[in-house]
Amino acid sequence: MAATETRIVTQRLREFPQDSWTLKRYLDSDGYRAARQVVTEVTPDETIALAKDSGLRGRGGAGFPTGLKWSFVPKDVFPKYVVINHDEGEPGTFKDRELAEMDPHQLIEGITIAAWANQASKAFIYCRGEFALGSRRMDAAIAEAYERGFLGKGIFGSKFDLDIILHRGAGAYICGEESALLDSLEGYRGQPRLRPPFPAVKGLYGQPTVINNTETVSTLPHIVNNGVDWFKKIGTEKSPGTKMMSVSGHVNAPANYEVPLGTSLADILELAGGMRDGRPVKAIIPGGASAPLLTDTNIPMDFEALKEAGTMLGSGAIVFMDDTTCMVRNALVTAEFFAHESCGKCTPCREGTWWKVRILERLEHGEGRQEDMDLLLDICNGMDGRSFCPLGDASAWAVRSNVKLFREEFQAHVDAGRCPFDDEHEQLVGARAGGVGLGEAGIGDQPAAGIWPDADGGA
Amino acid sequence: MTVKQSRRPDDAPAPSVLTPELRAQAEAIAAKYPNSRSALLPLLFLVQSVEGYVTDEGMREVAEILDLEPAQVLSSGSFYTMLKKRPQGEYLVSVCRNISCTHMGARKVVRALEEHLGIEAGATTQDGRFSLEAAECLATCDGAPSMQVNYEDFYKVTPDEAVAIVEKLGRGEVVLSVRGEPVKTSKEISHETATAGLRRPVTEMGYMPTMGGETPKQGTGPGMRPKVPGKGQES
Repeated sequence: MAATETRIVTQRLREFPQDSWTLKRYLDSDGYRAARQVVTEVTPDETIALAKDSGLRGRGGAGFPTGLKWSFVPKDVFPKYVVINHDEGEPGTFKDRELAEMDPHQLIEGITIAAWANQASKAFIYCRGEFALGSRRMDAAIAEAYERGFLGKGIFGSKFDLDIILHRGAGAYICGEESALLDSLEGYRGQPRLRPPFPAVKGLYGQPTVINNTETVSTLPHIVNNGVDWFKKIGTEKSPGTKMMSVSGHVNAPANYEVPLGTSLADILELAGGMRDGRPVKAIIPGGASAPLLTDTNIPMDFEALKEAGTMLGSGAIVFMDDTTCMVRNALVTAEFFAHESCGKCTPCREGTWWKVRILERLEHGEGRQEDMDLLLDICNGMDGRSFCPLGDASAWAVRSNVKLFREEFQAHVDAGRCPFDDEHEQLVGARAGGVGLGEAGIGDQPAAGIWPDADGGA
Repeated sequence: MTVKQSRRPDDAPAPSVLTPELRAQAEAIAAKYPNSRSALLPLLFLVQSVEGYVTDEGMREVAEILDLEPAQVLSSGSFYTMLKKRPQGEYLVSVCRNISCTHMGARKVVRALEEHLGIEAGATTQDGRFSLEAAECLATCDGAPSMQVNYEDFYKVTPDEAVAIVEKLGRGEVVLSVRGEPVKTSKEISHETATAGLRRPVTEMGYMPTMGGETPKQGTGPGMRPKVPGKGQES
């Protein structure tokens, strides 16, 4: 049987790509029925119970049960806040972007349900700074919802007030980490907070705060409309429902595919049109850059199975790589990303990500040393579990799995004194993300990002 | 208890990067949030929309609006890549250099643009028209290798296509993204970013009591930290 999608959150945007983001289209397809029903007929506790019973798990990466997260919020402390993590930045992930650009009303309806359940009268959407179109569409959708009385004072004729505040980030991956997101939203550097206290107890402005991912809340209206039993029939017992899989890399049809959790990776590859030119699969990133690599497509894509395989579902970003891929380059690109995005708060991550880039860079340039592979693993061990937040850990997992699975390829770079695949690295001048924070794109003398003038004096 | 003095001498003119109109927008942005400090990033975008980058004067003015010290504004602002501390081009060309894009040929695109513009990635042309950067994941991996010009998307760009887009912009022509959105100038897009969420009337913004009828206690300050006293406040 050919692999098929099960479209829930992507149903409207696939069926009506020409106008799926408009209020008219949303209302025509039963939009805001779930939010109206919840706010006028269901108690907040029943709404939390609904989320709990559905078994819905966070779609942002951690897979934490949504209803359980909500139940941690103290009942008697006000104000409370709902914050939507729309700072999608995990390399390989592009699902939340599509949801906000193509179906912003679905997101707003989901936010309304989450806000009602937690009795939060202010909700924030932390929208990634680079998402210009998505922000425009959400901005318009929020304005429309206010006009219709779906937001504002006494929504749907009830006594419940809800404001949604659209907030733009300014370019920092770390702000996808929920406590760093809160700091950024408060106007600070986006650096993670020590936990406990958890955001559910003391979050935004020190008040109880629920932080949910865009895809997670977009699922809520469908659970309300169709019921818990319907939802639990999709997916696996421990991971019910569907997941948007962002498929990219060397496949014929890269795109988002919504499939039941537990769908095999092979089926997802089939959905994506198979590998380009029919080449063999060499490596797969199953859950964003943070997830350790797989080499086999014979695995069900759900939280448990991937954990058992030593990796993770993460945000559902799948990157397929064929046999033309240089894994040293893959490791370098990944390491550069984490080095650029490390916030600098803790030493293992700040220093570890930086050193890994230097070592991987000399490996790709054919100047690697025999001990470099062990040195990389040593640095990874020094970071994993010793970093302040998951960014440092993830950076260690990613590079470690590249070295462990493809060690002979790293060795080949050392032995040959060059990249055995091509000479792309020799053409590089400034093709590096370069320095962190302010300062890029200035006129005049600048450090040549990507070329380390003192490379010989390094490690 | 001593009253903290502003470091700006009394006779120095107040910083005025923002026009009265923009100043009003700044107040409206600050009023969006239960705590005005949250407006720090949007206000820096507002400064960037005037000056083309975040100037020292601009940061001082933001500090004054939000009742913070300039150093606090610098501390937060310096963290974020979209806020530029040096003059940048009218068009910021960002080529994604992350995993999917690199494997699909992003390095060649960067190289072609470097050659065409005569600058390295991370720099700006001498005439101030173009900045080029090798950016981190732009969340358009299905369009790898992908590129943004002032945050409008271009998918599956070849080196030649990338150069053609830049040439078109250089000639002053209107360029549409893959999603049909016209590419704006960097000042225009900075203004749009600053004012996101201001579409509905400002009167609806600001304070609105919650179910419990309480707003955050003033003493709580943002997050878990005590508030750092700003200008004119008792320390």
